[in-house]
Amino acid sequence: MTRAPRSATIGVLGGGPWGLALAKAASRGGARAVLYSRRVPEDALPELHVTRELAELAEARLIFVAVPSELARPVLRELGDHLDGSHVLVHGVRGLVGEELATVSDLVRDETPVRRVGALGGPVQADELDLDRPSAIVVASEFREVTRAVRAHLESERLLVHESLDVRGLEWASALVGCLSIGVGFAQARPAVSPGMLAALISRAVLEAVSIALAAGGLEERTFYGLGGYGDLLASMALPNRPEMLLGRALSEGCDLAGARATAKLRIEAIELVPRVTAFAERRGLRCDVFRALSAILDGTAEPASIVRSLFAN
Amino acid sequence: MREDAPIFRFNRERAHLCSLTVARVLSQLTDALHTLNDACYFETRRLDGSKRKKDKERLLRWRWLARQLAKMGDDERRAELEILARGYVEDIAGNFDPRVFRVSARILPSLVTSLLAPRKIPALAREPAKLMRLDALKDEVKVEGDLAGLRSLAGKGTLVYVPTHSSNMDSIVFGYALERAGLPPATYGAGKNLFTNPLLSFFMHNLGAYKVDRRLKHGLYKDCLKAYSSVLLENRYHSLFFPGGTRSRSGSVESKLKLGLMGTGIEAYTRSLLAGQERKIFFVPCTINYLLALEAETLIEDFLSDAGKARYIIVDDESSRLYRIAAFAKKLLTMESSVVIRFGSPLDPFGSRVDADGTSFDTRGRAVAPKSYVTGLDGGLRIDPARDAQYTRELGRALVKSYRENTVVMATHLVAAACFEHLFEQGRRADLYTTLRIHDERIPRDTLARLVLEKRDRLTELERRGEVVVAAPIRAASGGDIVAQAMTAFRGYHTSPVLEPREDGIVLADPRLLFYYQNRLARHGLAYDADASVPGRAKGGAA
Repeated sequence: MTRAPRSATIGVLGGGPWGLALAKAASRGGARAVLYSRRVPEDALPELHVTRELAELAEARLIFVAVPSELARPVLRELGDHLDGSHVLVHGVRGLVGEELATVSDLVRDETPVRRVGALGGPVQADELDLDRPSAIVVASEFREVTRAVRAHLESERLLVHESLDVRGLEWASALVGCLSIGVGFAQARPAVSPGMLAALISRAVLEAVSIALAAGGLEERTFYGLGGYGDLLASMALPNRPEMLLGRALSEGCDLAGARATAKLRIEAIELVPRVTAFAERRGLRCDVFRALSAILDGTAEPASIVRSLFAN
Repeated sequence: MREDAPIFRFNRERAHLCSLTVARVLSQLTDALHTLNDACYFETRRLDGSKRKKDKERLLRWRWLARQLAKMGDDERRAELEILARGYVEDIAGNFDPRVFRVSARILPSLVTSLLAPRKIPALAREPAKLMRLDALKDEVKVEGDLAGLRSLAGKGTLVYVPTHSSNMDSIVFGYALERAGLPPATYGAGKNLFTNPLLSFFMHNLGAYKVDRRLKHGLYKDCLKAYSSVLLENRYHSLFFPGGTRSRSGSVESKLKLGLMGTGIEAYTRSLLAGQERKIFFVPCTINYLLALEAETLIEDFLSDAGKARYIIVDDESSRLYRIAAFAKKLLTMESSVVIRFGSPLDPFGSRVDADGTSFDTRGRAVAPKSYVTGLDGGLRIDPARDAQYTRELGRALVKSYRENTVVMATHLVAAACFEHLFEQGRRADLYTTLRIHDERIPRDTLARLVLEKRDRLTELERRGEVVVAAPIRAASGGDIVAQAMTAFRGYHTSPVLEPREDGIVLADPRLLFYYQNRLARHGLAYDADASVPGRAKGGAA
């Protein structure tokens, strides 16, 4: 494994749990971590340098972007004023933006001069990264030097870093797994759904998601069948408090959407995403029964038991 | 005539350039044995069975070499490679005679005029001075784009012209367009077979062309070619590449490009940085649009036959027949705006937009130093083939976009699209081959005029969004008028009629040629797209 020079500076944009975890992981890897956040106190953590200036963040050539997807465009536009073509942006943003379902790497191209862009994905959770517990992460970029650099900075005995060239495939996988998690939470809470039936439903849903990701420009199926899709979904099923799963369960138990949202507490991007992805798949003439069912679940337009039955019967 | 253009230094520098190229090829070799084996394999395969005496001798030599390879030491192998590389590079470099160039460039306008517009000669003969002038064809051959900006750019770096390619006339027409636009001439690689074509070779030799022998398939030859082109770029020779690689068989604007040669742009640029003397490189996209396509019949036949996919070199097409060229020219140059050469916005090797001062801009219009794209995370400049291949793919995407936006739609394309859609409907929207088999379908004149007009309106809408260009003669014309323009253009050029006028309408006599001409619009969703992912489905085909 190649080790990054200890003198390297890594920037992190965003002071949420993900941003903090990435900054700490980079710092453990030997780099000097600069965190841009308006909320995190400047002396929050001894190993981090917290800044309020984008210009200072831009002194790092490798910058992780960890902001909510709805903020990505304005934040990148502002950051873009401080960057040039020598910067590398790697984002860990789950979600697709706007009606046109732009990925965050699309936004980087639209809003900044940066070309060397990468995306993070896979099963790793913010708290695992934060507490240095064993996990696995995927980094994808069309530029090998980007994935290599990220790996050199983040990989340790406790963090497996998998490199991929399929940026778009990984970005769509991350977003679609969020949608599917709602469905899994929903199905798990149905008394009639046996483990075998659940497995069949999940396989079916993954098959649909794969064809959608490929239609959206993903390069290869195995991105979804690997850590970035299935791996991520398995981890989210094992988590007691993944918001999408909680939401699905609440809907299954008869809550309306507002009530279910309250149960899940955190903002869930997949709620808005499901109908947009369904519309996308329909426009492309792709099979999307599972996504249609998810839309119906979120709309409250169908009776829970019949949704599962009809999916299984088809 | 721009005497300061780098091409005039060529003879003085030829030997030096060749040596640089050979040295480059050898320095980049990693496995001499593999390279020689590869060359032996492809060359024996190519030459085996040839009846020509020279080929037989060569075959013996390659066989001998193949037997010796295992016994040779690495030094011997490298020495052998150097001999081979030198031979290839000498062949590629060819000869450029600046005296001939000057003369031919000066008489080029009148040659093109007489070749393309024989009817003008009597009129021009009364005013010989006019014959020498470049604007003799200004009504028929249009050169569009920000020409002043490009002229300024030529003084700030090395230009790489990257036009679309649909005809063997392209290099002549393009050379003429450069001359008329006041842009420097360029050196370019032309298929060796074109040099044996008596009509084209005169121009080829003397417009700065070097020879590309497409029969040679092995890695060593390709390395030589790429290195030569790279060395020319580094030495500030304005260059011309056809990124489509070969003439478009279907008649559509290129959507898949061969990126190998284009990638030399980044390499040459980075080498200039490493040498401490930044020399910028600008890619200039361009579309060459014809009302009539000289080789349409051969090309579309080749596209439609499966075997044709492998037929890379066509030596016996219309461009080798004098009477065909004459008929083509006579037709084309009696009609207004029948050839339009349209330059798009220039791009840097990373696909970013460039202004007339040579400054690159990101998508939001911020100035950005191209140097930063070849700067690594550690701040160092380096040549990284994997990284540069990715940048070149992005440049390719930007070019495809530019081609699409700068496609000039003419009467023949528009009418063919309307006719072909009618055929497609008659064939119950089945598939391409069903549609092509429909013979002698008749369409009432007013129906066709209406279909044409509907499509023209949709084109105008696309044009407003900057996605296509509608040629001047059809911009405000009526449907019937546009049909008449297309009929006039088609009449008498192709060996069999494309559209035949009858009392009760117009007969769609040649679906294959209609398909060829309509393909020009396929990328815009306004015509049947044979490359669409679902076979037999026309993207937005229904008007």
